[in-house]
Amino acid sequence: MQLESPYIPILTTIKSIVRENEVNDIKTFEFVFNDEEDYKKFDYIAGQFAELSVIGVGECPIGIASSPTEKGSIKFTVKKAGEVTTALHNLEVGDIVGIRGPLGNGWPVEEMKGKNLVIIGGGFAFSTLRSLTIFALHEDNRKNYSDITVIYGNRESGEVLYRDILEEWEKRDDINVVLTIDREQEGWTRKVGFVAPIVKEVSPSPENAVAIVCGPPIMIKTTQDVLKELKFVDEQILLSLEMRMKCGIGKCGRCNVGNKFVCLDGPVFSQAELNKLPKEY
Amino acid sequence: MIQKMISKEAIADLIKELQKEFKVFGPVKEEGGVLFKEIKDAKEICLNYSNSKIPAKSVLFPMIDTLFSYEKEGKKVKIIENPPYEKTVILGIRPCDSMIFSLFKNFFSFGKYKDPYVLNRLENITLIGLGCLEPRTTCFCTSVNGGPFNKESLDVLITEFKDNYYLESSTDKGEALIKKIKSLTDADKGDLAKIEKLHKDIESLIPVIEGLDSIHTKLDGLFDHQMWKMESQGCLGCGTCTYLCPTCHCFDVLDENKKDGSGRRIRIWDTCQFPLFTLETSGHNPRSTKLPRVRQRIYHKFNYYPKNYNIIGCVGCGRCIINCPVSSDIRNIFMSVEKMSSKTEG
Repeated sequence: MQLESPYIPILTTIKSIVRENEVNDIKTFEFVFNDEEDYKKFDYIAGQFAELSVIGVGECPIGIASSPTEKGSIKFTVKKAGEVTTALHNLEVGDIVGIRGPLGNGWPVEEMKGKNLVIIGGGFAFSTLRSLTIFALHEDNRKNYSDITVIYGNRESGEVLYRDILEEWEKRDDINVVLTIDREQEGWTRKVGFVAPIVKEVSPSPENAVAIVCGPPIMIKTTQDVLKELKFVDEQILLSLEMRMKCGIGKCGRCNVGNKFVCLDGPVFSQAELNKLPKEY
Repeated sequence: MIQKMISKEAIADLIKELQKEFKVFGPVKEEGGVLFKEIKDAKEICLNYSNSKIPAKSVLFPMIDTLFSYEKEGKKVKIIENPPYEKTVILGIRPCDSMIFSLFKNFFSFGKYKDPYVLNRLENITLIGLGCLEPRTTCFCTSVNGGPFNKESLDVLITEFKDNYYLESSTDKGEALIKKIKSLTDADKGDLAKIEKLHKDIESLIPVIEGLDSIHTKLDGLFDHQMWKMESQGCLGCGTCTYLCPTCHCFDVLDENKKDGSGRRIRIWDTCQFPLFTLETSGHNPRSTKLPRVRQRIYHKFNYYPKNYNIIGCVGCGRCIINCPVSSDIRNIFMSVEKMSSKTEG
């Protein structure tokens, strides 16, 4: 019997493309599956990723930005950086893109039930946090989580992703949204300062809480220090790792940290889990 | 188990019989060394060799492997799956190299995702191994659960004795195959007893490396040890040790295009010894220097493999020792691990 190949992408079509920042190197792509059956099989949770294929150019792993509660399509926010992401940026609505996934473990949405969520993001790493927040705020799920705090920082106002959704969240009374940029800017009415000191200022309680942190390495490091000051323990801090990947299914051998594969065992790890692994990421 | 024999001169008859039903791969001498190729003409096979330069892994896990093909026309994209794999015999593989067939079976079927390319080939490949009469000084198969006549991963083992080849089946697949081959005759009982002794005598010639069976636990405490600075100093980072290693399976994935818009997605052998292997688009590289790369090779085979799949990622063929341009010897690393771990404990 021939086994099905996990290396063969499912074909989808670009439904919409949203320009996310002023310099226009970050776009959100919305894909619809060419075969409805494939969409039904694409059963994902927030924090998982997929391999996007521009056939003839190659593949790259990207976190899923849409929430499983947003039905009918899936979204990815992609920064133009390498060969495949550049090719993606050159595509138009109606073009075909291959998708393999969902891959990786994702945010532990089941284990986090009943807890206060402190969601901390920096820069364009906010995509899977968008997914998580939309999921947790959905009417079917909101009751499963206690207080939800989102702290989202950027270097400048032109880099803030998902403005429409952030404004919607700001209007709600069941979520505390704190937006910050590094330096004062004309027209900016929210917080000013790096993410870590803003976390300190907001000072979320560690009691029955879980901190979900995603961002550039320096932000993660400084935020971890603040969370420790606030008495969060390592089991309460969740991080999503990035590594160079090819296959996304634990076979090509490059995204390991110690004996764990970021693509299979991750990308989400608790700080406690990472403490047991070599610092090779 | 059944035992049969064939005279050396008649090996071509055996190959011709096999070719009726199988694609036959075997060792072929080419400029630069022996490698495994499809045998078209029985005369090509070279069974008088110590070991191939490139391991027979290349049949199971080719250097360039098509994952799927595609055709593009305007906005349309069509994906084309590979044709089914043909029934294949690998004749003359050394017992050490055959061990990767169980190792790959374990690894490529592990967890949620199965690798159909390797697994389909595994199902369709029959292994007829050739026992080692003259192990090399760099061989250490007996220290990693193998041996010069180890049948564990073979379907049939051949031992060369006087003017004959003696065949012995070790699986049902092997037994069925032997029964079908008409050019075989019943084995000489007197010779069989002598062959058994020969196996033992030759096996005892290979020195056993003490402590290698528990190396994974010793490595646990040595990740940040300064020994890796010394062990990586001489390394050129050429990757030869990994490209010629039978157990290395890391790969890169690329799209290869033809002018007409069609093409194929391929995977090609890659190596953890190159900085590009882990270089991220952002510029960050978690293994940016030689030290972590040299360490990764050892840990992957001797710590991560045992931890994740309960097997040791080495067959003791010694290719990495023979072919290293700066004569780095993995056995010296084993010794250092042994020494440093006893020091750390003490």
